[in-house]
Amino acid sequence: MTNDALTAEAVNQANRPSAEELATRRKVIEVDSLDWSFGTRQVLFDINLDVREGEIMVIMGGSGSGKTTLLRHLVGLMPPLPGKIKLLGKDMGALSRMQLLELKRRIGVAFQFGALFSSMSVSENVKLPLRELTDLEERTMDIMANMKLEVCNLSGFGHLMPSDLSGGMMKRASIARAIVMDPKLIFLDEPSSGLDPVVSSALDDLILKLRDAMDISVVVVSHDVESAYKIADRITILDKGRILACDRVDAVRNSTNERVQNLLHRRSEQAEIDPTEYLRRLAGD
Amino acid sequence: MANPLKLPGKIFEGIGRRTVAGLDEMGYAAAIFFEAIYWTLTGWRYRQPVRITSAFASMMQFGVTALPIATLLAATIGLMLAIQSLYSLGLFGAEQYAYIGIALSVVREFSPMIMGILIAGRSGSAIAARLATMSINQEVDALQVMGINPVRFLVSPVLIALVLMMPCLAMWANLVSILAAGLYVSAQLHQSFGAYLNDTIDVLKTGDVWHGLGKATLFGVIIALVGVVNGSMVQGGAEGVGKVTTRSVVISITLIVVADMIFAYMTTK
Repeated sequence: MTNDALTAEAVNQANRPSAEELATRRKVIEVDSLDWSFGTRQVLFDINLDVREGEIMVIMGGSGSGKTTLLRHLVGLMPPLPGKIKLLGKDMGALSRMQLLELKRRIGVAFQFGALFSSMSVSENVKLPLRELTDLEERTMDIMANMKLEVCNLSGFGHLMPSDLSGGMMKRASIARAIVMDPKLIFLDEPSSGLDPVVSSALDDLILKLRDAMDISVVVVSHDVESAYKIADRITILDKGRILACDRVDAVRNSTNERVQNLLHRRSEQAEIDPTEYLRRLAGD
Repeated sequence: MANPLKLPGKIFEGIGRRTVAGLDEMGYAAAIFFEAIYWTLTGWRYRQPVRITSAFASMMQFGVTALPIATLLAATIGLMLAIQSLYSLGLFGAEQYAYIGIALSVVREFSPMIMGILIAGRSGSAIAARLATMSINQEVDALQVMGINPVRFLVSPVLIALVLMMPCLAMWANLVSILAAGLYVSAQLHQSFGAYLNDTIDVLKTGDVWHGLGKATLFGVIIALVGVVNGSMVQGGAEGVGKVTTRSVVISITLIVVADMIFAYMTTK
């Protein structure tokens, strides 16, 4: 870990709310007994999770651990059944389609690859929610979009098309679009994937800045351990569809659970091989 | 080696699977159709109106920019019909009645069908490719999580545009085909062009024109729905986009021809 990252982590650590303080805050996400299967393959097992107001929760896990599926449930792209998901105090399963659309106006989502509309400029992308969901005048929308682009260090790039952007700019533009409606909760899917360490670190700083400036809760799905240490108030670790750990950064870091440590230290897990079983498998029995 | 006794079972299983998948797709298309109409009529109540500007942009894309190729095709069809009519009626010495066959077949049959096939190839494929690319790039997911209904945002403008532009294109094709045929026929039969037009207007009834325009509207709905359904069912990357685009064109044209036959049967019986 670089010195800069250590410093930033230390600064954030000092600002992290205590467990007691977190417990007093309102829950913005409550997941209760969520299971999910694709056909006969179950990918989420009895997920119970909560995120508090103003908290940054990082959901980590290896490939195929179910973190993207969980995120899709949280943002309403998959039904929260069986189980229950409450977002900003509303039970998503009990809402009508229209109520769900209303609720989604109060959250923001930045996808892994940006999901910017390729036929629109960056500025048009950021203005899209305003244009489609509000009655604001064009001038007001321009001002709001420019403000968000500036927050995301994209001032002056609004006229570019998404294909003209670098990976880091694409992610920031996606975040600018996610926050343009001033949501109370944002979800970021793999914000640092595919970025070099410097750009990734700048993105972490942006996430912290957003949380502090806008007083929003942030859920980040990531596999970047350094980034998680730097920005998270709490870390949830998913493994094979189950929550392995969900705690404050220090507690997760010092966990005695071998699988948690393997994930944090990027150690591969070698399953013990039963020679007889192995031979039987080779023989096709 | 495969057991030959199992072959008939597998064939029936395959037919059954395809039938169920086909019905499933039809149900999906019907749901999208009604949802698009619902949002068109009631979107303003939820502060999500269908944007007129989007519908106009689609009308430009599907209709206005297709005019040059539509004109060329319509003129060619008109000339081809004139040549064949003069030849076939000439066998009985009845060339002077060519205008009847030309007028009725152009207005009732050829204009809507040729425009349908043209727009299915030109715009149906574009709709499917756009939707498929958007699905793969998570743009449709992005709309959903923003609280923007994708059917209202993506499908309704396309449906409105095609339902309005297809009859317009068919009407334009009627004019161009009849004019092109008229020029050829009047030149071949040494009669005045004005007389040809008078005869054509006399033989055509309002019902014939409505018949063609009704078909064109139906074809517009078919092209829009097939494009949207195929585009949203994409799987895989760029290869998947290519597959659904091709499939969309093939299915659209097939359905247009079948619907044309059913429409003709139902309305002329």
